[in-house]
Amino acid sequence: MIGGLFIYNHKGEVLISRVYRDDIGRNAVDAFRVNVIHARQQVRSPVTNIARTSFFHVKRSNIWLAAVTKQNVNAAMVFEFLYKMCDVMAAYFGKISEENIKNNFVLIYELLDEILDFGYPQNSETGALKTFITQQGIKSQLTKEEQSQITSQVTGQIGWRREGIKYRRNELFLDVLESVNLLMSPQGQVLSAHVSGRVVMKSYLSGMPECKFGMNDKIVIEKQGKGTADETGKSGKQSIAIDDCTFHQCVRLSKFDSERSISFIPPDGEFELMRYRTTKDIILPFRVIPLVREVGRTKLEVKVVIKSNFKPSLLAQKIEVRIPTPLNTSGVQVICMKGKAKYKASENAIVWKIKRMAGMKESQISAEIELLPTNDKKKWARPPISMNFEVPFAPSGLKVRYLKVFEPKLNYSDHDVIKWVRYIGRSGIYETRC
Amino acid sequence: MPYLGSEDVVKELKKALCNPHIQADRPRYRNVIQRVIRHMTQGVDMSSIFMEMVKASATVDIVQKKLVYLYMCTYAPLKPDLALLAINTLCKDCSDPNPMVRGLALRSMCGLRMPGVQEYIQQPILNGLRDKASYVRRVAVLGCAKMYNLHGDSEVDGALVNELYSLLRDQDPIVVVNCLRALEEILKHEGGVVINKPIAHHLLNRMPDLDQWGQAEVLGFLLRYQPRSEEELFAILNLLDSSLQSSSPAVVMAATKLFLVLAKEFPHVQTDVLVRVKGPLLTACSSESRELCFAALCHVRRILRSLPGHFSSHYKKFFCSYSEPHYIKLQKVEVLCELVNDENVQQVLEELRDYCTDVSADLAQAAIFAIGGIARTYTDQCVQILTELLVLRQEHITSAVVQTFRNLVWLCPQCTEAVCRALPGCEENIQDSEGKQALIWLLGVHGETIPNAPYVLEDFVESVKAETFPAVKMELLTALLRLFLSRPAECQDMLGRLLYYCIEEEKDMAVRDRGLFYYRLLLTGIDEVKRILCSPKSDPSLGLLEDQAERPVSSWVSEFNTLVPMYSKACWAAISSLQVSESRGLEAMGTGVLSTSGSLVSENKEELQPLSDSGSFLLVPNGQLTAEQFEKTWLSLEVAHQEVLPWQGVAHPDTIQTALQMVNIQPIALSKAGVQPWKAYLSAQDGAGCLFLTELLLDPEHSQVHLSVKQSQDKTEALNSFISVLKTVIGTIVDIKS
Repeated sequence: MIGGLFIYNHKGEVLISRVYRDDIGRNAVDAFRVNVIHARQQVRSPVTNIARTSFFHVKRSNIWLAAVTKQNVNAAMVFEFLYKMCDVMAAYFGKISEENIKNNFVLIYELLDEILDFGYPQNSETGALKTFITQQGIKSQLTKEEQSQITSQVTGQIGWRREGIKYRRNELFLDVLESVNLLMSPQGQVLSAHVSGRVVMKSYLSGMPECKFGMNDKIVIEKQGKGTADETGKSGKQSIAIDDCTFHQCVRLSKFDSERSISFIPPDGEFELMRYRTTKDIILPFRVIPLVREVGRTKLEVKVVIKSNFKPSLLAQKIEVRIPTPLNTSGVQVICMKGKAKYKASENAIVWKIKRMAGMKESQISAEIELLPTNDKKKWARPPISMNFEVPFAPSGLKVRYLKVFEPKLNYSDHDVIKWVRYIGRSGIYETRC
Repeated sequence: MPYLGSEDVVKELKKALCNPHIQADRPRYRNVIQRVIRHMTQGVDMSSIFMEMVKASATVDIVQKKLVYLYMCTYAPLKPDLALLAINTLCKDCSDPNPMVRGLALRSMCGLRMPGVQEYIQQPILNGLRDKASYVRRVAVLGCAKMYNLHGDSEVDGALVNELYSLLRDQDPIVVVNCLRALEEILKHEGGVVINKPIAHHLLNRMPDLDQWGQAEVLGFLLRYQPRSEEELFAILNLLDSSLQSSSPAVVMAATKLFLVLAKEFPHVQTDVLVRVKGPLLTACSSESRELCFAALCHVRRILRSLPGHFSSHYKKFFCSYSEPHYIKLQKVEVLCELVNDENVQQVLEELRDYCTDVSADLAQAAIFAIGGIARTYTDQCVQILTELLVLRQEHITSAVVQTFRNLVWLCPQCTEAVCRALPGCEENIQDSEGKQALIWLLGVHGETIPNAPYVLEDFVESVKAETFPAVKMELLTALLRLFLSRPAECQDMLGRLLYYCIEEEKDMAVRDRGLFYYRLLLTGIDEVKRILCSPKSDPSLGLLEDQAERPVSSWVSEFNTLVPMYSKACWAAISSLQVSESRGLEAMGTGVLSTSGSLVSENKEELQPLSDSGSFLLVPNGQLTAEQFEKTWLSLEVAHQEVLPWQGVAHPDTIQTALQMVNIQPIALSKAGVQPWKAYLSAQDGAGCLFLTELLLDPEHSQVHLSVKQSQDKTEALNSFISVLKTVIGTIVDIKS
């Protein structure tokens, strides 16, 4: 149970404060500011105990959200709730920033009133909330129909979908969003790599459609490809091994366990169908090859080569390579073949940006870093080179094989549904040590 | 944070609220109210315009209503008489045709925290419980809990409780979960909501309809249910299987805990469950949601305590990335240290060595201590790595390494030689108290094998006047005296100087007393000094004891998925001890009558009866001692005896109480079953009028019970007899349970 929820800006000013339980006093708001936001040292833990009160906080850009409780609660749930809170707010007004929070503060109080009661999480589905908390907030009188919608949405057989939805055009969008994480040793050895992915579906379908989703999951393909050994060998190459996956509430897990098939009745609008993680046979879109040479005590020569490792027809975007420089850097000369590179003294790094890069290409940057002589004995710890990018394929190798829609009661078939599939691979923590 | 000139702001807003032009202009009116709320958020006291705000609540604009209600809930305790005025409007709203308005009004009404509101809200709540809109029912159910919370001491209304129990069958899933929450609060003093077989199975069937919060919470409530048969147990586990695959980490964690608790009799099922949640936990550990990742890592550490090899093959998942927050890195270092085995030790050590030179001194030290932990098993490799680190001549690194060395030679004497070779030169790079103490200790104990030990210590003696830490001076005294015993010629002179300084010039009492003590000790002759100071230089058995950390899963399962794993052990102990001392007074009052029947008790009757009769020692019943008297006596006496006894599982207060009463030991106060930490205070009196006061403190982590006895008269024999009686009783209870 959550005793109170506070939102602060980076200076520690209270933007929102809502107390749900008597045991949380006004002084709790100040206690968190003084002990955590204004503390000099780094944040030691996302859970802080001040005077027997636990403060759970998450940070979004420079906004602090803190949930407060005196009970011995389930930590995962409180954090999940805070994330949910952020999602709901983002769904209403976009980015969580000081300005947006100040402009929407009435709305946030309204939301806080609905999603928590007496400190207990209530209905937190954005879809349901949007039916009665509108951004304008003017909708004071609901029509009869809308009222019944609210009730049927939560009391119907299927909690996540109401009946009687109609669209002129039946359409659905599937986004496979992956974030690829890498930790590579200076010698080019992969220390650890994983992909965490999400399949997000946006559906605009009439009635109560039954959907079936298929992907190139190794276990499924091996099951189907029992026919000939030749076939399994072939398809085995394209299939992927999923380490762990979870589904939206609407997916019938019993069917997944027995047949490994993913069937469901989707909620209306956008939702996250599944979340997964893979660690094997990851396609690393970029390889970073660093070369650092210390020339005497006052000069460093850095050469970094990046190689793109995917089909030449595809284009990677928003590429950014961050090469850290020592604290006592006095000047930097950079030469790069492609894109733009700049030394940012405030961030202690050379930032190299390339707008687009095709597959199977190579590019390099060389820099001469002049150092101020220091008598500091401390050796420079050489932070890793990190990278950001976006590629139009799934680094895990996941492919959507089919998504079939059946609606027995209404007269539209699978062929009438317009379907869109998109793959986006982004960098998570993508670091190469040097 | 009251702003300067806040009075003017209040005055201005008050004027604006009263202005009829503004009142007529709806957007402007709402705007003024928004400003009131904004100032309230910032901590400005806005209570003086309560009257004007109450007026503003009579509007058709639902957003304005919400804002006004929020205001009223905040300031109602300060202005109870004015708040009563608002009740009328609220009551009217409670019968509005729009369910949203009904719900909002009811919620706000229950949120008014002021005396006397109960009589007004009772009827609306009862109506709300039977409302046809589920939205209103949800609010009404929690309203019951709020109403009860306002008057914590009032009688529990049986009819209301029954109504809530029947609402557990409501078709709306949130109403069901809210009922559980409300009942839990209302029945707090009776041990919370009762989960019997029909309720448990009903909840299990409703699980798929619930949202993630509901699922996580219901899983928590189900912990209370004890399946009647093995068959039923496995049926439940099958039903809940899907929860282990939920996309919500909170549900997965709650389900894991429930599985572990339900399957406590089947260790293989427990292990199986832990294997199954490995995937979700690893996912959480590498999740981009940092805070969840932190929570998962804390739990991974718990699991590793029981199954050290559980994550060994995934050790690379726990390598730190540069951009991760500090708290995650520290947890990962701890995890790495705990999952080391023969196959991965090389890689893990290489990784940890990289962290030792991290820019963050905290992380570097944590990594060094982690290597020290691994060194208990893989001594040679680790000592070599640590020795190489000394070359860097960094203060924080050297200090941490020397501290690690000190702990290491105590546990693993085989590395003493290597450590002694590495020590010379370290003294130049240590500035902090902990590091200095460790170095001085090492030089004192192993000084005979370090050639320059006396000279290093001499430097410390020379600069003792400038030394700021008393602990370092104490350590220096002891070390120098020890070294003097093995190398008298080199040390005699400076020992004299140090003793002189400590006795004549030192201002810290503890250091001076230590100096005087050693001086007098030296006067008794060198043999006596040797006898007292030359204790063993290492104790490998201590390490063996610590290595046997493989605790059964059940030792931590009750803490799984709570805050306990999130806080460090010391921090949690401090929090919980404070809470106990606060609640002790309450408990002493609360434990009046407890039922004394039970089949367990009649069984041990025969065993216990002769026992109390045997021997000359007899306890007589003394019913007169009250809780206050006990507390007074307890505080005035010294502890006469302390002991630790084995104990399994949770304590059942009534069993213990009845068993103790058999032998005329009177329980004064007992914690409720399952409370952490569990404590009991007992009193007894023997024929000669000597009082025995006892405290039992349960330590479930080590399966022990701590026993401390105080005695009103100083009689050793009686004390021993009393303790033996008490031990037999405790022994019997433990036997019955196991």
